[in-house]
Amino acid sequence: MEKLIDIFNELNLDVDFMTCENLVDGRYLDSLTILSLITELEDTFDIEIPTVEIIPANFNSIKNIWALITRLKG
Amino acid sequence: MSYFSILYLLAFLPLVIIIYNILPRKIRPIILLIASFIFYFIYSKWLVIYLLLSILSIYLAGLLMKHVNDRRDKALNEEIEDKKKIKTKYKNINKLILLVTIIFNVAFLFYFKYLNFFQSIFHLKNKIIKHLAPIGISFYTLEALSYLFDIYHEKYKAEKNLLKIMLYLSFFPTIVEGPITRYNEVSDTIYAGDKITYQGFCYGAQRILYGLFKKMIIADRLNIFVKIVFQDYVRFSGPIVFLGAIFYTILLYMEFSGTMDIVIGSAEIFNIKIPENFRQPFFSKNIAEFWSRWHITLGLWFKEYIFYPVSLSRVVRKITTFVKKVFNNRVSSLLMGAIALFVVWSLNGLWHGAGYQFIFYGYYHFTLILLGNIFEPTIINFCHKLKINRENIFIKIIRIVKTWFFIFIGELFFNASSLKAGMQMLKRIFTHFTFHSFNKYVLTLGLDIKDYIIMAIALIVIFIISILKEKNVEVRDSLSKKNIVLRWACFYLLIFSIIIFGAYGDGYAPVEPIYADF
Repeated sequence: MEKLIDIFNELNLDVDFMTCENLVDGRYLDSLTILSLITELEDTFDIEIPTVEIIPANFNSIKNIWALITRLKG
Repeated sequence: MSYFSILYLLAFLPLVIIIYNILPRKIRPIILLIASFIFYFIYSKWLVIYLLLSILSIYLAGLLMKHVNDRRDKALNEEIEDKKKIKTKYKNINKLILLVTIIFNVAFLFYFKYLNFFQSIFHLKNKIIKHLAPIGISFYTLEALSYLFDIYHEKYKAEKNLLKIMLYLSFFPTIVEGPITRYNEVSDTIYAGDKITYQGFCYGAQRILYGLFKKMIIADRLNIFVKIVFQDYVRFSGPIVFLGAIFYTILLYMEFSGTMDIVIGSAEIFNIKIPENFRQPFFSKNIAEFWSRWHITLGLWFKEYIFYPVSLSRVVRKITTFVKKVFNNRVSSLLMGAIALFVVWSLNGLWHGAGYQFIFYGYYHFTLILLGNIFEPTIINFCHKLKINRENIFIKIIRIVKTWFFIFIGELFFNASSLKAGMQMLKRIFTHFTFHSFNKYVLTLGLDIKDYIIMAIALIVIFIISILKEKNVEVRDSLSKKNIVLRWACFYLLIFSIIIFGAYGDGYAPVEPIYADF
């Protein structure tokens, strides 16, 4: 989780990403930031995020992103 | 039978509502299906065959892919071979099924929509075939493809009931102009056969009336002015041409979003939830935001099925990994997005029509979004250094008005008869910028003072409703909590304003469904 927090710190979002539950629906994460986030996640956690997983539900909160990483690693 | 026609509003829809509600729950989806095919047949006659072929193709392809996945799961359970090999083997079979079905469906779209255009591009001397396209082909083809992609990616299970797929692709409120729905979003409610409720009926009827209000009071009123300016632009000075572009943008929004109100309202009566296609687009502070508020379902379709798959494809990743090493993560994700955006906007432009002006329209928006992506961080830094609060109301208004300007220019090309005409109109705005005869034309091209006053009041009403929506106030919920006198007063006010102030009869020409031609 610490690595994920580091990645989010680099993104410089205008919101407290630790508590935000609508990162995508609230448009804090735009398409380009999502692309940048995906490549970082894939490199850091050695996973491949299929495009079908790029849905708001998976990226709306840091908890959901962590759950996605855990699921894909498993 | 347009959604705004008396035939649809006072005969077809009420008849379907009555028959639907008196029959048992199980039969109701069949009634919607029969109504949808009657509706389609009235519009497109025997071209309904192409819709049926699309339905059958995705239904069979879905089942085939499901069968392949079942066999894969069985093989994986037996664990005889290497699991990765098994997965790849069955994935490849499904890839082939997907590819063949995509080609089959896109071939119809190409034949009806693009064949003539490409023949003219490559100067092919073959006879140009003049044909009418099956109505809604651009919309239902995208819906069909979304179903195929989702089944391929195992987002949900393939549908076994052919009637459900038939109703999904042919549903009469959405078949002509969308919204472009996803099967998993609508499949539950579309086939539920829920009884029509008083609230659902009232909400649906209110939404339909609001759509009529937008179209008949504003769009139809602006039509003659827009037609004359766009057809005969050489006669007019720059400000009139620019006013034509502004009026066309308003007309397009009122017509298209008004149609969506009727579409969503019609579905709401049957308790069927259809996704929204607009979210106050003229409150956008930049073009990228505009496209997340305008024709939302098309944008989401391109984002999910083109933008992400292209940007995360192997080829693009290889390029961007190299760029990342040389530059940094921001440049590589910018490039990744730029390549995918280019593909998205090439297709988006072409989707809107087979013509150079539509291709230009696509690249125009691509350029604006790309420039926004590149310069946004610099602008944020600049504002930060100068202590300019971008969320300040005056700055917001400046940003919104700036976005309007770019939208008006884009729509000028969108409605121009050709790319050349669009260019000449744009040039004319600047080279013939004189207010000489401005007043004369403003009041003689199908609009008089009375028309302007009616439109201004109607636009203020729509503006207030839009602000409430922007603040997440559900206007109909608030209205339903008011006392019965006020509720019915609003209802009657809406009905009578359409009857009294609607632009119909002598001196007006109703707008033809614009997006139905796409």
